Amino acid sequence: MIITGKAVPRRTFLKGVGATVALPFLDSMVPAFAAAPKAPVRLAFLYVPNGIDMKNWNVPQEGALPAELPRILKPLEAFRDDMIQIGNLTNNSGRALLDGPGDHGRCAGSYLTGVQVKKTTVDIKASVSCDQIIANKIGHETRFASLELGMDDSRQAGDCDSGYSCAYTNNLSWRSETQPLPPVLDPRVLFERLFGTGVILSPEDMDRRARYRRSILDFVTGDTKKLQSSLGPTDRRKLEEYLSSIREVERQLEKAEKESVQINPGMDKPYGVPPDFAEHFKLMSDMLTIAFQADMTRVSTFLMTREGTSRSYREIGIADGHHPCTHHQGKQELIDKVIQINEYHAKQVAGWLGNLKSIKEGDCSLLDNCMIVYGAGLSDGNRHLHDDLPTLLIGRGGNHFKPGRRVIYRKETPMSNFHLTLMDRMGVPMENFGDASGHLDPASLT
Amino acid sequence: MQQRGPAVRPPIGIALDGDLGNRIDAVLAVAMLNGFTAKTEARRISLSVSRPSVASAQIADVVAAFYRGRPMGGAGGGVGAITEGVIGMPDGSVPGSDSPVLAAALSTKTSDGTPAYTSAITGSVNTAESAVLIRNLLLAQHDGNAAIVLAGPATGLVRILGLYRSGPQISAKCKVLVVAAGSFPAGQPEASIKSDVAAARKLFAEWPTPIVAVGTEVGAALPYPGASIDKDFSWSPAHPLVDAYRAFKPMPYDAPASALAAVLHAVHPDEDYFKLSDPGTISVQDDGSTRFTPAVDGKHRYLIVDPAQKDRIMSLYTAMVSAPPAPRPGRGRGGAI
Repeated sequence: MIITGKAVPRRTFLKGVGATVALPFLDSMVPAFAAAPKAPVRLAFLYVPNGIDMKNWNVPQEGALPAELPRILKPLEAFRDDMIQIGNLTNNSGRALLDGPGDHGRCAGSYLTGVQVKKTTVDIKASVSCDQIIANKIGHETRFASLELGMDDSRQAGDCDSGYSCAYTNNLSWRSETQPLPPVLDPRVLFERLFGTGVILSPEDMDRRARYRRSILDFVTGDTKKLQSSLGPTDRRKLEEYLSSIREVERQLEKAEKESVQINPGMDKPYGVPPDFAEHFKLMSDMLTIAFQADMTRVSTFLMTREGTSRSYREIGIADGHHPCTHHQGKQELIDKVIQINEYHAKQVAGWLGNLKSIKEGDCSLLDNCMIVYGAGLSDGNRHLHDDLPTLLIGRGGNHFKPGRRVIYRKETPMSNFHLTLMDRMGVPMENFGDASGHLDPASLT
Repeated sequence: MQQRGPAVRPPIGIALDGDLGNRIDAVLAVAMLNGFTAKTEARRISLSVSRPSVASAQIADVVAAFYRGRPMGGAGGGVGAITEGVIGMPDGSVPGSDSPVLAAALSTKTSDGTPAYTSAITGSVNTAESAVLIRNLLLAQHDGNAAIVLAGPATGLVRILGLYRSGPQISAKCKVLVVAAGSFPAGQPEASIKSDVAAARKLFAEWPTPIVAVGTEVGAALPYPGASIDKDFSWSPAHPLVDAYRAFKPMPYDAPASALAAVLHAVHPDEDYFKLSDPGTISVQDDGSTRFTPAVDGKHRYLIVDPAQKDRIMSLYTAMVSAPPAPRPGRGRGGAI
């Protein structure tokens, strides 16, 4: 680390007309002879729907993860030493508990809230989700208290599962008992939110702007040059890499917007949403990386696709809907398709993790300072089971967790216990949450 | 608590928490609940052992697996079917507790030398924290349609009281707690109470629903007949209950069975099998003895044996305990869309 005489303030922004670009952590932000500040811990919940084929997900034994991971985790093998596979977490609130059918609606609505949601399509009721409890406490320290991302369906009303409102299946984050936080699906909207003035443009305005568009970086050239002149060579390179990643996102966005005009993805999608799942995920996750890197937020939820989705995956040769495939009733042909979809999701996640790992933050990587929870609200999607939920904790949470292991808790251990542990690590200690029976044994993960 | 779900109620759900490693009547109680399940008079919604003992949990697992004739939740039981096979056990370890008398039953071998019974439980990780398991299963019951039977120390059960929001949940779902421990109205220290006095004291002091206690005097007056073990179980060449009964004490003997009285009262409280004391309050002394003090507004009562009912009860005991596993109904996706 190069220590310069004059420190750049941590909250420095590159500003221009209609553009605000936050900066990543730079060495120059450390005052001369001062100890390097501890990088903040970031938390993201990355959710996949309809359960996961557990036979091809679970590592059989506790302890160090084996050299060869189960089929679905194979795309994540490069991150074996960055993740903990957690077994036996249960979301009892997702179970019927006399409310009848509707496991998809319940499991998503209760995943981060830990409560049994009200079965209704009208007067929805859940509870404040753990990510929002954290955001309420520490959100003032960043530009965005939290970011909610999604890729599938933004409906907030109507019946999405046997009498459960779409508000349950299509949101993970809840600001209050009755107010979910809908995820941003459109990469352009997310981009504008991160780097723009906060005004969300209409599709027509966006199109008009696109025709004359220059890079957002063009608007902040003055500030960029000024800053660059005050930086050492390492920070200059770091800044260039960071700005390049923003430019790359812009290029992807422009490409996607062109393609979305030309290609009919076979479903309603907002303007600018790439028809290709992988491209869409890459755009959203790249922007989340930038948001984490520049400390624009420390908390995020990311609903890869909505719970109960019947999205098909033609890009990998699966024309059947995801949800129907999961009700395979033991038919191997359908089970294989579920596994393929699960693998495909993991492959996208691997791309994102690689990105997080490549970014240096002090003496470690951005991923080391993250807690990425990758998992689902159902284990066996065929039988709608709510126990042994597939859960990966990726990252070290700021040199706190000891990854590279599988940890199995006792059966029926509430998922809310895990949430309490994560809240602790985010500096928001709570005694109770959802249906928690206590915190996870601290020694088990560290 | 808001009542939800269909109007048709299944038979009462019984959560059984017992010292299956040390009390033969707790093992008999599992069999008796199977008998009531076969007659659709009750459902065993959860089974937990009351000490942190893996060997006890293995016994519970073997016996439960033997009787797994139908999902524990039964019709309308909700989560019961999903947690089928999960045995509850309190967290923690008590020095010397993992040496249950009945563990010998597990070592029974078949004629070819292979173990007659195998348990899927190899450590505490294969079990659930009993308080959480019971709480989760209670939440799947209609309001007032569940009862808890405790036939062992209160070590695990009392921890439900510490779970967030558990008070209203227990009050709503659990009609009564029946405790097969202590002596009433007063008597000598009893083993289950004595082994965790603090837990028993807290349970009687803080439990939110009515409690009915079944003392050792009831168990002694209505023992399970050893003769039944010799003649009523021939329908199975190997039976874990029979082996456990024989391992518990040299045969022949009749086993004191307060746990069976507790189950019977929990399932059929209104059929006059027993008399009930006036209301009062049960307190636990330092030496592990219990004392009942009458009080008009007390939430506690204890069972009193009615000699006129003895033959009727004994006949029911043997019929229910020796019943073969209840037939298993077809299993659908139950709740899937």
